Parts: sequence; structure tokens; C-alpha cells
Amino acid sequence: MNTCVIGKGLPRIDAVPKVTGEAQYTVDLKMPGMLTGKILRSPHSHALIKSIDTAAAKELKGVRAVIAAQDVPDNLFSFYQWLADKNIFCTTRVRYVGDEVAAVAAVDEDTAEEALSLIKVEYEPLPAVYDVEEAMRPGAPLVHDDKESNVTWTVQRLFGDPDKALAECDFVVEGKYVTHQVAHTCMEVSNCVARWDVKDRLTIWTNTQAPHTQRQEVARTLGIHKRNVRVINSFMGGGFGSKLVMDMKLPIAAVLSKITGRPVRIVNTRAEEFTTAKARYPYTMYLKTGAKDGRIVARDLKVIGDAGAYHDKGPATINFASMMFGTLYNVPNMRFEGMLAYTNKEMGTAFRGFGNPQVAFATETQLDELAEKMGIDPVELRLKNSNQAGVETACGAEVCGCGMTECITAAADGIEWDRKRGKKDGKTLRGVGLANMVHTGGGGRFYGYNSAEAFVKLSDEGTVTLITSALDMGQGSHTAMAQIAAEELGVRLADINVLSHDTDLTPYDLGSWGSRATYMNGNAVLAAARDARRAVGEAAAEMLEADTKDIVVEEGMVWVEGSDEKHDLAEIVEHAVNAHGAPISGTGKFVDKLPAGYTIPTAFIKNIPCFSFGTQAAEVEVDPETGQVHVLRVVAAHETGTTINQTMAEGQIEGGVVQGIGYALVEELVRADGKILNDSFLDYKIPNIGDVPEIKAICIESLGTNGPYGAKGIGEPGLVPTAPAIANAVYDAIGVRFHELPITPDKVLRALQEAGRSK
Amino acid sequence: MKRELRLTVNGDEYHVLVEPRRTLLEVIREDIGLTGTKNGCGAGECGACTVLLDNEAVNSCLVLAHEADGQEVVTIEGLARGGALHPVQEAFVEQGAIQCGFCTPGMVLSTVALLDRNPDPTREEILHGLKGNLCRCTGYVKIIDAVEAAKCLLREGESQ
Repeated sequence: MNTCVIGKGLPRIDAVPKVTGEAQYTVDLKMPGMLTGKILRSPHSHALIKSIDTAAAKELKGVRAVIAAQDVPDNLFSFYQWLADKNIFCTTRVRYVGDEVAAVAAVDEDTAEEALSLIKVEYEPLPAVYDVEEAMRPGAPLVHDDKESNVTWTVQRLFGDPDKALAECDFVVEGKYVTHQVAHTCMEVSNCVARWDVKDRLTIWTNTQAPHTQRQEVARTLGIHKRNVRVINSFMGGGFGSKLVMDMKLPIAAVLSKITGRPVRIVNTRAEEFTTAKARYPYTMYLKTGAKDGRIVARDLKVIGDAGAYHDKGPATINFASMMFGTLYNVPNMRFEGMLAYTNKEMGTAFRGFGNPQVAFATETQLDELAEKMGIDPVELRLKNSNQAGVETACGAEVCGCGMTECITAAADGIEWDRKRGKKDGKTLRGVGLANMVHTGGGGRFYGYNSAEAFVKLSDEGTVTLITSALDMGQGSHTAMAQIAAEELGVRLADINVLSHDTDLTPYDLGSWGSRATYMNGNAVLAAARDARRAVGEAAAEMLEADTKDIVVEEGMVWVEGSDEKHDLAEIVEHAVNAHGAPISGTGKFVDKLPAGYTIPTAFIKNIPCFSFGTQAAEVEVDPETGQVHVLRVVAAHETGTTINQTMAEGQIEGGVVQGIGYALVEELVRADGKILNDSFLDYKIPNIGDVPEIKAICIESLGTNGPYGAKGIGEPGLVPTAPAIANAVYDAIGVRFHELPITPDKVLRALQEAGRSK
Repeated sequence: MKRELRLTVNGDEYHVLVEPRRTLLEVIREDIGLTGTKNGCGAGECGACTVLLDNEAVNSCLVLAHEADGQEVVTIEGLARGGALHPVQEAFVEQGAIQCGFCTPGMVLSTVALLDRNPDPTREEILHGLKGNLCRCTGYVKIIDAVEAAKCLLREGESQ
């Protein structure tokens, strides 16, 4: 493809404001009269609230409001309203350490904190449950006493006859795999400012990935009409899924603002971010895989998801993981059973990969176990079972463009698989491992629709304003959208100004998640820019007395093909205004059409508009003295369809890999009696610059999708296969198979001691 | 009791009345109103609040404002001169070392301090110099590239 802007590794359009400190994040906002809000949270993981006394707090000088359950609407909320289970404030019982009990608004932070300390709450502690399998047993303490069981949601999927197929297999492996709870740790904590104005309109400034759906969530929680709610975003310090679903600080700040008549800000402390901003769902998985004649013919997976104290995205992550489970390889016989149970812990939510990294850890680890049992090389097994373009898998997934074989080969070659796998030098404990993944490359049709809209406006000086709902939480979607608009319009990237921050301005949209912005919003931007380009062509043709098909627009200059007389685009816009009073603009829509016969409950795999495959290979060295796993290098080959921005695509992959290393080896929320012990960066270690191995990010361009120029989303895939690739490399290094994450030094040392390998 | 504090920030002098327990970070963001310096943890663990205090990189959340009395502070807003980016800023932009940007001000200032005391750091020295600055987006790969590029840009700048 001959392009001017697409595919180039151009600097982000927001790089200069970010590198000079000019970029304003929500947490930087200041408003006249603004009050500081603070939330009083439960110190117990499970207790009855016997009484709340706010009198002393209300009397403190500088306190403007103190509120608890009786002061707010009594509406239950959850992302899925049919599973609603959480009040704004706890009414009669608290269900995890951090649950919202009361809140204050005061003139400054110190006063607000002092006021919290003056609220007296009498609790009666109750037995609590923290282990998801214990929570499912009869007689376990009920997290929600109005429900019969802690098991709160289940799903079953069956394709073919896995029992019969497994009985006929040459080789079968089975095992239990356990993943853990990890935190997103966005550098900017969750925060908001709410202003309930005299016209009864509520404006909320917050760092959100999905302003339009959060607007609905705030409205339904407060029991007000959504026309009265406006959500405004700013530069955003990270998301990774944590800022998709509304946090209770939004309605709390709103009520505090309504009572005080002032804007109210609530900002998480870092400790609140670790303990209440929600986390990755831990999965306990029972998996069986069988092969016959070298082909994977049957898989049987049971996933038990640990919801934490309340519902959020639990059912969606399990459903999504099952779709990816059903698509990665074309396996004719599959059973998937998913269930979700409450525990007295911080609740889960979306987190980069959305259930897929958990399941990929089980499936891709077990595939290596299967290869060993079969006596064949893990790469050979994967190549033999590699998915191909045009395949419809047993569960109905239509595999569009598919570069899986290229990904496997690129990752294996990059890590020098043939030279290193199974080879020992007798001195160091080194090994290589590899894992595959598939993910959506364009969001999903889970809402029963998947669409996007965009507007392009040309100002009379020739610059372009692009209005899109593609939220940029740091992943670079503004730049990708601007590149698409610049390419289509024939202007420079610097001429594009992107607006996406205000629900009053932007078209309704589902938000930035599921690696969907490039595919969905990108297509809408493409259409809007083409619409505006058509209008430019018509105006230029009239002005230059030429045929529209002969009009050339490049880098903001316009001319008739073959002519040396070049005009600034501004002249064309001015002509359109002066001759017809008609400024130039464009609108574009993209509707990801639902397949025939689609219904939300039955369509299952038809939910995904395009799949993105990838393979990562890792080389590790295990230190027998300390048990530490050092990742030496990672080669990450991922499909991008057509790469919109080479540098940014690599950045997504590299960032995903390093989060994946943290997930595999170090990160874990650790509790005692339900209280998180490591609620700071000192105790909850995320990878720092010294932990980073050599990473080679490879973009595999594959055709066959409907994304803009054939592009696929690349936001999430980088994290999905990292943990199993590392676990498989650790096995190659020390011959120990880990079925539980994270693979920490204590576990490694214990395993080495048991194997008699430790010094 | 508020006490008078004299600070030079990005070349401008400030006289402010500040409670003794307030941090340099709070004074920079709230009293002086420069919000480029970010608060990532408030406990000296993430480096987002890094500023230069008499040319040394410090976590401004760990410095009491009055400890900085009479000293010179450079924040991210003070790095670009006359509309031209500092070579370290330029390198971060060009190498794609920025995603969400929340760690960027601290990361850039730590790099400036590192290259100031050691104009030709090895890879090991770069990693050591930036270990106190956490980033959750980039995976650090392009940040390392940016420091290497900044090293060259600064050297070129000096030879001209």
C-alpha cells in the first residue's frame, strides 16, 4: 500500500504536551470553591453495621457534608443491571476491606481526613470466606445473605463429543491451574470531580475509558435521567481495563456536590487504588486436552472465577475467555464450563486480556505437557495444529486473516529455538519456552451491536478537527485516529486536532476496550475523512475549473493533476465558504454488521469481528541460589493486520510483555484476614526498568480483516501469552512444571529442593 | 503555623507562606500551580514527582518544602527553553518513549540528572539511574532507547 502517514513510526500527537508537563490530567483540575471528598471504608472483610454516628464529624470546622447510606438513593448497581448487588454505601453489612461506608466533603484534605476519623461505626464481625473453592462448598459463609449460595453465575458450552473423543485419544493430559489476583496500578489513580449545578445538571470529570456507558451507570445508580449527566475526560494516566465500569466515588462525589452546592473532588490514595480500584479475576481451572494422530481433538475446561465481593465484569471475562479457548486451535470436541463465586475480597474487573491470559496460562502450559507426552517438539505440535485463514472452528468461529503460522515461526526463529531448546551447558540453568494466543482485534458485539461514529471539521485556515469517541488512556488511539484522517484528507499529521473528551460533544460509543478503537473508531474516522475529502474535491474542482477526479490533495496542498499551480487547502475551504456559505465537514459511521441469525445468548463466538493471533517465545535463566527467574529475552510476534503506527504498535507489545512478566513472576495481592498487606509500590512490586529483558516486538501483517486499511487492534495481545511462555521456559531450564502463578523464588527454591537440584 | 518559604522555581522567585509539614510536591502543585509534576504514590516509591533540586533529582513528595528553602527547583515546565525542547525531551518524543505520559515528567528529569552527572552512561548505568521511576505502559524499552538517543543529542549539541 502506498501511504503517506499510515504505517510510519511517527511521534504521537500528544507527545509534546506530555513531555513538557503541559498535558492536564483529571487529577490536575482545579475549580473555584472545590471541596475535597473522602470515603470512609470498611476495616472488616465481613461484618454487620450496627450503628453509624456522624455527629462529631459534622461539627468539625471546615466540614461541609457527611453522608452515609440513608443520604443516598437506595439503588443497587452492577455493570450488568440484572446482577446488581452493590449499594452506593453499605447499608447493613460490609463485604470486603475497603467497602464504602460513609463519606465527607471538607474545605481541604486534612480536614476531610480528620472528619473521617470522627465518624464512629460499630461493627459486628462475621465469618468471612477468601478461597473461591471454599466459598462454593455448602455451609460456607454467604457473602450476600439474600442469596442461596456464593455461586452467582454459571455457563456451559459444548461442541462435539469431548468425552467420546478423549476416550479415543492417543494421549491425554489433565491438570489443575491456578492464577492469582493482580492490580492494574495505573500511574494516575482513579479520581473525579463532580459538580451538580443549579440547573440540576451533573457534570463529572473523571479518568474513564468509557464515558458514555459510565454516564448511564451514574444516572441509573442515582436514579436520575441520563440527559442530566455529562462526563468529561482529560489526558489519562493509564487504564488497562480498570476504568471501564463506574467506581462508587462518582455517585458519592455527585451527592456531596448536590448537598454542598460546590464541586467535589475525590482522589484515591495509592493504598485505596491497590485495595479498592478492582483487580484481575483469579481463575482456578481444571483442564483436559487429548490428541490423536498428532492433532488436538478434544479439550475440556472448567473455570472457577473469583468474583470478589460484588459483580462487575466477571461473567463477561469468563464468556470472552471461553470464546478465545474455542478459537485458538481448531479443536472439534470441546466442553467449557464457567462459574463465578463471591468471596470477601476486592472485586475483579476488566484487565488487559479480559480472562484470556488466565486461560492461556492453563491451555498453553498444558500443550507443552501434551507435547512432552507425545514425544514431539512443542513448536512442531503448535505448527501442526496452527489455525488457518478461512477455517470455521467447531464452535463456529470464523477465522478471517490468520498469521498464526508466521507468528510461531517468527517467535521460534527469533529466540533461536532449535539451537537452545533442551540444550544444557552444564553451568547455567537456562531454558526457552513458547506460547500462542488469540484475541479479538476489534472489540465485540456483546452489547448486541458494535458501531462507531466520527466527525471531521475543516477550519478556514485549513486545519482539521476530528471528533471521535476513541478514548486515549495512553495507548495512542488519538494518534492512530489522526493518522487515518491525515492519510485520507491529504494533510499533515500536525494539522489534525483530536477531540474525544466530552459526552456532550462526542457521539455515543462503547468506549476504549477489547482492542477495539483502531478497528471500530478507526473505520468511522476513515469514513468521515473520506466524506470530507469528497467535499474538498468538489470545492477544489469548482474553484480550479477541473474535474473532481483530477484533484490531488497532499500534505495540505491542493492542485490539479499535471499542473504546477498548488494551492493551500485553506484557499479551498475559503472558496467553499465564500462561494456557497458552506464550510467543509465530513461524517462517518461504521457498523460492524451482525452475522445472520445473531442473538446475544446464542451467538457465542460470532461476537468477534476479527481475531488477532500471536506467539511469544521467552528465554529465562533460573538462579539456583535464590530461586529467582530472570527473563533474558522475549520475542513477541503479533498480528497487526496493517500496522497504523510501527512505533506505537511495538510500544503496545513491549508494554504488554512487561506487564506479563510482572504477572508471571512477581505481582500478587497478598492478604491476611482479608486485608491486603501490600498496598504500596514498595510491597507490591511492578517491573522497573532494571527488570526488563531484551524484547523483540514483531508486527506480522496479515490480510483479510475489515479494519481500516486491514488493521487489527493490538492493545491487549502483548500480555496474553507471556506467562505461559515464561512457565514453559522455566520447565526447559529446570524440569519443573508450575501450575500456579506467580512463579516466585520461594516456589522455585522449594521445587528445586524437592528435585535435589538446589545448592 | 505557616512560615515564609523562598524558592526559585524554573528561574522564577516565589515567596510563599507554607505549613512546616507540607511537602515540596504539594507546594509546587498547589501553591505555585505547576501541575506538570505528578503525584503517583506520595511515598517516594514511583518517581512520578521527580524534580531537580539544585541539579539533583529528588522525589519531591519526600522533601519537606522548607528543606528546599533558598534552593533552586527545576520542574518539567522549566526544561524547554525559548520554545525549544530540551534534548532529553526531544529524544523521548522521537523514540516513542511516552504512552500515558504520567511518569514522563519524572522520567525525563531523572534522565536529565543522570546525563548531567554521567554524560556517557553504559546500559547498566542507565538502568540503575532510572530504577526509581516506574512506568506501567511502555515496558521501558523505548525509554532506554530515548536515553541512548538523548546521550547522542547532548553530545552533538556540545560539539556545535
